[in-house]
Amino acid sequence: MAITGRVPLLLLLGVVPLVLRPTAGVGWGWVGLVLAVTVVDLLLAPSTTAVGLRREATGPVRTGEATSTTVVATNTGRRRLRGALRDAWQPTAGATGNRHRLRLGPGASARLTTPLTPVRRGDLRAVGVTVRSLGPLRLVARQRTLDVPGSVRSLPPFESRKHLPSRLARLRELDGRAAVRVRGQGTEFDSLREYVDGDDVRSIDWRASARNRTVVVRTWQPERDRRVVLVLDTSRVSAGRVDDVPRLDSAMDAALLLAALASRAGDRVDFVAGDRRVRSRVRSAGSRAIAGTLQDAMADLSPVLAEADWSALAAAVNAMGRRRCLVVLLTPLEPAAVEESLLPTLVTLVRHHRVVLASVRDPELERLAATRGTVAEAYGAAAAEQALGRRRRTADMLRTLGVDVVDADAESLPPALADHYLSLKARGLL
Amino acid sequence: MSPTLTAGPAPATAVPGSGPSRRFLPRRSTVLIALVVLATVVLLAVSTRDATRTDPLDPDNPSPGGAQALARVLADEGVDVEVVRDADALEDTEVDGDTTVLVTAPYSLGGASTDRLVDHAADGQLVVAGSGLAQVGLLDDADEPVTVEVPDDLEADCEADAAGGVDGVDLSGLAIDVEVADAYPLDGCFTVDEGSLLVSPRPGLTVLGAADVLANDQVLRGDNAAVALRLLGARERLVWYVPDPADVPAGESTAPSALLPPWLVPVLWLLFATSLVGIWWRARRFGPLVTEPLPVSVKASETTRSRGRLYHRSRDRGHAAGALRHAARDRFAARLGIPATPPAPGAPAPVVLDVARRTARHPAEVAWLIDPTAPPPGTDTELVDLADALAELDREVRRT
Repeated sequence: MAITGRVPLLLLLGVVPLVLRPTAGVGWGWVGLVLAVTVVDLLLAPSTTAVGLRREATGPVRTGEATSTTVVATNTGRRRLRGALRDAWQPTAGATGNRHRLRLGPGASARLTTPLTPVRRGDLRAVGVTVRSLGPLRLVARQRTLDVPGSVRSLPPFESRKHLPSRLARLRELDGRAAVRVRGQGTEFDSLREYVDGDDVRSIDWRASARNRTVVVRTWQPERDRRVVLVLDTSRVSAGRVDDVPRLDSAMDAALLLAALASRAGDRVDFVAGDRRVRSRVRSAGSRAIAGTLQDAMADLSPVLAEADWSALAAAVNAMGRRRCLVVLLTPLEPAAVEESLLPTLVTLVRHHRVVLASVRDPELERLAATRGTVAEAYGAAAAEQALGRRRRTADMLRTLGVDVVDADAESLPPALADHYLSLKARGLL
Repeated sequence: MSPTLTAGPAPATAVPGSGPSRRFLPRRSTVLIALVVLATVVLLAVSTRDATRTDPLDPDNPSPGGAQALARVLADEGVDVEVVRDADALEDTEVDGDTTVLVTAPYSLGGASTDRLVDHAADGQLVVAGSGLAQVGLLDDADEPVTVEVPDDLEADCEADAAGGVDGVDLSGLAIDVEVADAYPLDGCFTVDEGSLLVSPRPGLTVLGAADVLANDQVLRGDNAAVALRLLGARERLVWYVPDPADVPAGESTAPSALLPPWLVPVLWLLFATSLVGIWWRARRFGPLVTEPLPVSVKASETTRSRGRLYHRSRDRGHAAGALRHAARDRFAARLGIPATPPAPGAPAPVVLDVARRTARHPAEVAWLIDPTAPPPGTDTELVDLADALAELDREVRRT
């Protein structure tokens, strides 16, 4: 039950009889009258159970972009229904203007659309739809909250998309270099064609030339159809916030850019995310829309306060195929976590695959190490220097194992990882 | 530049952020509240003391509107002046045929205190100076005075014991000089067109309409002083009664509530009820409160910061200095492209010699700064100095 502004107004009108006859009886009488009218209005209000609610599905949307959700309200009763409806969503769904007026004749229905602007990644849920049904005097309303499930999938924003055109240009350069027939690592046989002036004589295919009347050269192209496996760590270390962005989100950004680039380069991209167990797994047959698929797979991932089980994740990688591939581990370079759980798995992983570790570096550590004004800051600088040193040594150790380490700020990690991939591709190390 | 090795006292333990500032708030506010209370009390004390002295025609008021001069002169002339300031004190005084009772602020009387005053002063002579007598029941409403402008040197023009005159007081030949006064429509002395300024409506009661005669700044004009002295000094004793408004019982005087319209209180109650209903109207939620399931996320550098605080609390200067030196050594070695570890124990590390050569410092000084075997700083100040010196050395190496 809820009252409208008319009840206090009606009560206020009692000033007139009170000024004319200022007795307690008149006052109490007026209050009683208002109360009685209110109760009668409540009893006459149509029941809220006569409203049927249904929600139309909302497709996924990138974080920060606008979408909308629609609730269809139907009056199943035999009386005219007036009132209001509120479609409640969790705050980060950005459901502004979620209150609607209801005016439904018997059997009529209305589509009520609430705009949504998600500000957080993940599946954002509707909490409930509240219906108010006003009485004939509009003094009082019956109120009831119904559960009308609904959710909108807010995809990772993929802000590093802006780096994609420049990296694709680099990729075309690689292709172009193959077109001028520089044979070498990272290329594979493409086709035979006639010799023209300027071609490298070393690329002449003598056997083919012997069968033809003209001299024939071989052409080469960059390696294609290699496999890239992205392993996203969602364990406790990914919960760390670097410059107000969780490491997990920065890693996702880097993974999306690499996936988009690799799929354009003709490689197959697979994806595994997990901590204690595998949370998400995507196998793609080299499709171009891999970024969208990955965004969908990543949308509902959130850091879990548990240690990563790297052997389980490595098993998931191996289960995707026995072929040699590029394994990109998106995990922070946390010395303790790396040494204790990742290292044993890494040794076997490196034997079969090329492994790259992409880590979000925290610029705060360098700032901390450089501030040394007071006693507390000096101790803090010592701790930061120690952490940086351990990080450096862990990275060195990984490099000696044969793992490539890409350690960059949140902002520059996606392009750095993409550049590393391109350089691997140019050198034919995939 | 060598680091200063002053053995200064260890700085006070600064445990950073011990407890929220909320804990300090009550203490500060308590002091503030105490100060405010103290100031209020002092202010009240001062103002109440001043109030008794600033009332017009008060015997203790030396300002132009007061009557201290008259009280002093009467006392000097041998009249026994007794000042009373409330009804109980008045009843403690003894009033007989040789007593004059003077009331200078009759508007502060109430019905009951007026009756007590009249009863008590029945044996003596009651003199009332001021206005508002009808309101407190000393005079009939018909005798309500009018305020008049008094001509200069108004003659008394009445005889002692004459009809309308004042008992036992000879005012013949005296003239008063005041600006304004209350004229009563009765026979009496100092007659103007509208009435008399000094009347005796009934035996034993004298009403002085020209109360300003008693005031400090007017008592010397004309024959004012003589009139006042004759009026008040005719008898041996003078009881100077300054009524206290607090003596008036509640309801006796004109209650403010009686002046208000009768519907006001019920309407106020109705407004109160309306506001309650209004609160209900606005406060009723349209559906339950929605909560946000928030993911865990911690600042990534938090562990490093807390490790720094841990070093600080445990005063582990050796460890902290070791970490700083190690980091500097690693950085220099990487920059200069030489191994950071000494080739043989005992010999100075190549990085030390190289840095010393490049920065033109003595190898021992550089070794003191970055060598792993250098002694740890003795105090926290020395640790800060060491950290600063290492940063300076780093800048120098980077410049070369």
